[in-house]
Amino acid sequence: MVIQKPAIAGTLESSDCMVTVEPGEGKIDLDLDSAVIRQYGKQIRKVILETLQRLDVTDAKITVVDKGALDCTIKARVECAVYRSNGVKDQLPWGGAIV
Amino acid sequence: MGFVGEIYPNDLRTNAQMDALLRAEGIRRDKNLDYSCGVFDDDGSLIAAGSSFKNTLRCLAVSSEHRGEGLMNQVVSHLLEREIQQGYSHVFLYTKEKNAAIFQDLGFYEIARVENELVFLENRRDGFARYLKRLEQTRRDGRCAAVVMNANPFTLGHRYLVEQAASENDWLHLFLLSEEAGPIPFSVRKKLVREGIADLKNVILHETGPYIISSATFPSYFLRDEDAAIFAHAKLDLAVFGKIAAVLGVTARYAGEEKSSHVTALYNESMAELLPKQGIRFQEVPRLTIGGETVSASTVRQAIHDGHPERIAFMLPESTKRYFAGAEAAPVLSAIRAMEEARHY
Repeated sequence: MVIQKPAIAGTLESSDCMVTVEPGEGKIDLDLDSAVIRQYGKQIRKVILETLQRLDVTDAKITVVDKGALDCTIKARVECAVYRSNGVKDQLPWGGAIV
Repeated sequence: MGFVGEIYPNDLRTNAQMDALLRAEGIRRDKNLDYSCGVFDDDGSLIAAGSSFKNTLRCLAVSSEHRGEGLMNQVVSHLLEREIQQGYSHVFLYTKEKNAAIFQDLGFYEIARVENELVFLENRRDGFARYLKRLEQTRRDGRCAAVVMNANPFTLGHRYLVEQAASENDWLHLFLLSEEAGPIPFSVRKKLVREGIADLKNVILHETGPYIISSATFPSYFLRDEDAAIFAHAKLDLAVFGKIAAVLGVTARYAGEEKSSHVTALYNESMAELLPKQGIRFQEVPRLTIGGETVSASTVRQAIHDGHPERIAFMLPESTKRYFAGAEAAPVLSAIRAMEEARHY
C-alpha cells in the first residue's frame, strides 16, 4: 500500500500509542519514542515493521509515540493510520493490505 | 473522567472558564487561535484546555487540582489529530521551562530555549537538526553576515541593504521568509529576490522554513498583538537564530532601520539588545532615500493598494518592475488592492 497523505491514529494516553504516517522518501523511516523503550524497544519496533510489511507498505515516514501499548494495540494503531492515509473507511481488511 | 470536546468561539460561558483556567495557571491567552478544546469534569467545569493556531499548539493548561491524571495527554492527542486533518504534520509548541518535560514525554523535541522563560519544541526528533545540517553545507570561511527579509516585494531598499552587508563581509547569508503571509506568494518573492541579487556573487540565499520569523516562532509578526507578546516572540526567534548563526559562522546581522512598522521596530530593538549577548554584531542600516522619499515595501504595497503604482516605480529594481507589468502579476495586484491594510503594523 502507498501512503497517500499524512494520517494519525491512537492517542497519547497511558497504554496507548499515537502513530503518524506520512509519505516517505523511498524507504521505511521509523521514529520511535516510548516510555518503555529500554524494556521493549526492540519488540515494539519489530511489531511496527512487521505490520507495515504485512500491509505491503515500503515507503513511509512513520512516527510512533508509545505510552506502554500492548503489541495488539500497536498493530491496530499502525493499521488504522495506514488505512486512514488511504482514505479507506469501510470494509476494512484488518490485518491485510488494501489492493 | 471527562472527555475532550471542542470549545466554540461563541460559547461565551466555556470561553470564560477557559480564560479563568489559563489565568490561574499563569498563561497568557493568545489573541489568535484557530481552534480550542477542553476536558470537563462530571459537573461540567473545565479542568484542562488547549488550542491551536496553524501548525502550533497554544494555551495548554491543566487545572492544578487535576495534575497527574493524564489530561494533557488527552488534550494534545486531540489537537494533534485536528492538526493532521488541517494538513499540518510538523507541529510546534512553546511552553514554560518547568513544563517542557511533560511535552517531551508526548513526542516533542526541543529546538531552543529562552533561559528561565520558555522552551520551543517540535514533534520531529530531527527536524531542526536536519535544517541546520542542510544550512551547514553552505558554510563559508571568512567574515560572514546574515540578513533576514520578507521582501514583500523586493525593492531598491532591500537591494541597498544586501549590497551594504555583502560589501562589508566576505559572505552574506540572505534568509527569505518562506511563510505565505501576504498577497505576494513566496515563489514570486523568491524569484524577485533571486533576480534582484543575481550579480552579487557572495550572497547565499536561504529559506527560513518554520524556524525564523514563522507563525510558529513569531506569530505576532503576522497578526496584531501586544508589545509584551512581540518581545517574548522576538526573544525566542533570536534564540533560534543564534543556533543558525553558530552553524554558519555568522558574526553579524544587518537590518534596515525601521520607522513605520511597529512590530519590526520592536524586533530591531530586541536584536540590538540580545544579539551582542550571543556574540553577534547587530548593524542597523539607515533606509535608502531616493529624491527625498524613503524606500519601503510597505509604501510600495500602499501605493498599489491605492491604485497609484506609478508613484513608486522609482523604488523598484528592473526585475520587480518587469514582474508587476506582466500578466502573471494581475491576480497579485488585485489581491493587494483588496487588502484592508497594506502596511505592516
